[in-house]
Amino acid sequence: MRKRNDLVVLSSDGEDDDCSVSSSNRSYSKPKSRSLIARSNPRGAKKARLSGSRSHLSKESSNADEIRFFCKDFDEVFNGFKVSAGFGGSNTKGLWVDKYKPHSLEELAVHKKKVEEVKVWFEERLRSSKAELSNVLVITGQTGVGKSATIHAIASHLGASVCEWNTPTPIIWQEHLHNSSTGINYTSKLDEFENFVERIRKYGLNLSSSTEESKSPTVLLIDDLPVMNGKVSFQRLQSCLHLLVQSTRIPTTILLTDYIKTDSADHSGRCLEELQLCLENAGACKVAFNPITNNSIKKTLSRICRQEQCNTTAEQIDLIAKVSGGDIRQAITSLQFFCLKPDSMHSLSLRDTTTTYSREKPDEVSSMDDGFPLQFGRDETLSLFHALGKFLHNKRDTENAMALDQDEFPLQQRLLRLPLKMDAPEKILCQAHGQARPIADFLHENVLDFMSEDAIGDAWAVASYLGDADMLLSTFRGMLARYNEAENVLQSAAASVAVRGVLFGNAHPLPSRWHAIRRPKLWQIEQSSLRNKNEMVKRRFNGYSRPSFSDFSVVTMEYTPVFKWLGQGITGGLETHQALTQCNETNDDFDKMSLDDKESESTDDEIEDW
Amino acid sequence: MALLVDKHRPRTLDNLSYHSDLSARLRALAQSGDFPHLLVYGPSGAGKKTRIVATLRELYGPGVEKIKIDSRVFQTTSNRKLEFNIVASVYHLEITPSDVGNYDRVVVQDLLKEVAQTQQVDLGAKQRFKVVVINEADHLTRDAQAALRRTMEKYSPNLRLILLANSTSNIIAPIRSRTLLVRVAAPSEDEICQVLKRVGEKEHFRDVEALNQKIAKDSGRNLRRALLMYEAVHAQNEVVTEKSLVPPPDWEALIAQIADEIIEEHTPARILQVRAKLYDLLTHCIPATTILKTLTWKLIPKIDDELKPDIIRWSAFYEHRIRLGTKVIFHLEAFVAKFMRVLESYLNGIELDFD
Repeated sequence: MRKRNDLVVLSSDGEDDDCSVSSSNRSYSKPKSRSLIARSNPRGAKKARLSGSRSHLSKESSNADEIRFFCKDFDEVFNGFKVSAGFGGSNTKGLWVDKYKPHSLEELAVHKKKVEEVKVWFEERLRSSKAELSNVLVITGQTGVGKSATIHAIASHLGASVCEWNTPTPIIWQEHLHNSSTGINYTSKLDEFENFVERIRKYGLNLSSSTEESKSPTVLLIDDLPVMNGKVSFQRLQSCLHLLVQSTRIPTTILLTDYIKTDSADHSGRCLEELQLCLENAGACKVAFNPITNNSIKKTLSRICRQEQCNTTAEQIDLIAKVSGGDIRQAITSLQFFCLKPDSMHSLSLRDTTTTYSREKPDEVSSMDDGFPLQFGRDETLSLFHALGKFLHNKRDTENAMALDQDEFPLQQRLLRLPLKMDAPEKILCQAHGQARPIADFLHENVLDFMSEDAIGDAWAVASYLGDADMLLSTFRGMLARYNEAENVLQSAAASVAVRGVLFGNAHPLPSRWHAIRRPKLWQIEQSSLRNKNEMVKRRFNGYSRPSFSDFSVVTMEYTPVFKWLGQGITGGLETHQALTQCNETNDDFDKMSLDDKESESTDDEIEDW
Repeated sequence: MALLVDKHRPRTLDNLSYHSDLSARLRALAQSGDFPHLLVYGPSGAGKKTRIVATLRELYGPGVEKIKIDSRVFQTTSNRKLEFNIVASVYHLEITPSDVGNYDRVVVQDLLKEVAQTQQVDLGAKQRFKVVVINEADHLTRDAQAALRRTMEKYSPNLRLILLANSTSNIIAPIRSRTLLVRVAAPSEDEICQVLKRVGEKEHFRDVEALNQKIAKDSGRNLRRALLMYEAVHAQNEVVTEKSLVPPPDWEALIAQIADEIIEEHTPARILQVRAKLYDLLTHCIPATTILKTLTWKLIPKIDDELKPDIIRWSAFYEHRIRLGTKVIFHLEAFVAKFMRVLESYLNGIELDFD
């Protein structure tokens, strides 16, 4: 979407310079990676030519031009840039996200301290390229918190040019077939990245020494690491980054988007965390960006509104900001969509460009109603741990406001509970994408920690509700495919029973305090139990001189203890011992896990605070 | 080196030491020329398997004892590969379908069909049918049992089934009606003592009558367990006396510990401690129902008579839930919590007015 930038008439556009520099740099240093930026240049040039000749565009223009023009028009409509009627002389093309990209440090919505931190880091590196300072900075944060924007803004502030690595666009199968028929070999993205890093390490960016840009300092920006799946590629990437951290001479920034944090049971999420840790161990500095605060987003949004001259009310902006969840890119896109006139899509059917332009009249601004419903924005999402925290802490109002309500169904005293201080549990579950099974497991593992010391009755109530949930979940065991619909209903019912059971049953929750949420030990137990079982089944066949082939439970309950007593039974005793030590090892794993969980929980709290 | 249990296992019907009436009938059955499907049931360690092996020998001669272990791979409808072990001789095979859990239907169907469709290979065989012994038949799923029933009807000329189960209650009625039910009762304590004595003579162990009786009592009339304990005691002590300690199996000791802990304190924190121990038991593949049962019997002597019926009731309730559910720990813990709650309110003199 950056191609529009070439048309922006703002001459003092430092960011644009960066952009072209970066693309030219790239085309020298790495011709293979085809990024959007590199591709956009020729098109931009064409467009410029076209717009220059727009005034006297007539039938004599060549066919090719017309086609191109049509395409462009289509593009424009499609991008929905024809948003506001009151465009102020300069053009309105392009997504606002690109158009209002922060060009100076003041425009950044990121917290001042963080920006300062990064800026100081860059200044230090650019001033003196001392060997002892590590040249790698890792920036983490969720999407749309202005990670790359900060780097670009700081670089232009310091007069440095940015060389950017974007993960190349993936190649689809057809494309691959086409390529291989024309003799272009496929290289995996990881290979490309490795090559790139290799080159950076060995030669720096000095390949472009013939051009003038090389005199200004250069910073390297690695946006999003290549996708890794599997251990092998993970290790390759890890060692590659490790080398980069240790040997690069250019100030390098690695952006890590921690979008996978939401469910930390995910494997790739853990990989990313591990990678981050590894980078830090190698000496990289780390700055974590928090989601952008509501106020900053509101400020930015109203600035854009002023410049675009669209009249949105403060409440609307407030709503957009709130719903964006600290993601400023989302917020701006939402705003643009919100300001979009519903009828502008009609122009899709019109091929004549001149009419398209003439249709933009100022009076159409008024067509935007005040009661315009917000049909955009994203649903609020919660991480699993956040949701679990809510359920486990079981925060309730201190007094029952509903007590005076006459419609209230009369309940016995022991069944009465104070109203919940949260959304409906089902809604929270939905936001956290909670699957019934893991939710129940997590609750089971942790709920006892959140109960008051002598509330054994509560403990029983909770345990029995969790048992109910388990029964619901196992009703259709093994018939998932046949009763898909029923399975879904059961899943949500079970989740509901588990969560509400925990909320209701825990009638005397402990006062809120910091407490780590553990990963269900149950999962580990199930695994090791299965492993032991397989072990024993195997042993049953080859362990004895004459296979006695007894029932499995007999083996575990009667033979194994005897083997232990006898201390001989070479097969028996040893293997059980092994199984036990394995068990211990896995226990160690738990501890690590719970540490991770603690971390993730603490970050959750951070989110809650802002 | 073989355990005493395996070493001195009787090979023929003649050598069986107790239930001689039953042995005689089985021999008559084997010699009668026809042989019905059998459903042999009885408590663990009563000698079901030993009897069946001896009967098979009676049927086919010593060739039955030449066994080999086959590993077969089955494919489920969802294309999952199942590895399954079969103990087979020329004349019979022995399977434990519960090894593959919920996929036992596939195994039962495929394997039995395959066996039934091929005739007896050995022309000199005494019988023209093959025998399939199914272990742990009471652990078969309903689906598998239904499949079994149809197979029994369809392939009866070539195939005889011998089902082994601890009780008939989990076996569907159609199968029960199509099989000859043979009950193998647990040996009495005296019978166990005799067996121990005989084994001791063969092994030249010092014979201590009182110890044998103690073992017989502790074993819960389970001959296998009695023999294992006997061997353990003799292996651990140089000189066996009346006072030699028979250690309980480690899991039983652990459950006894759990019972003590439960009685001692009734708090959520204590449940957490108990949970760790329960996990330990589950890791070592002790069946959850056994845990619950043993725990209940360890708890019962420690509480007031008034509470006992209630506790038994809840124990049964949660045992049922363990069977229905998948995560046994949820239900085990619910029982622990329930017990603590009942005991707590009893000690505090609060009548339970609900549930």
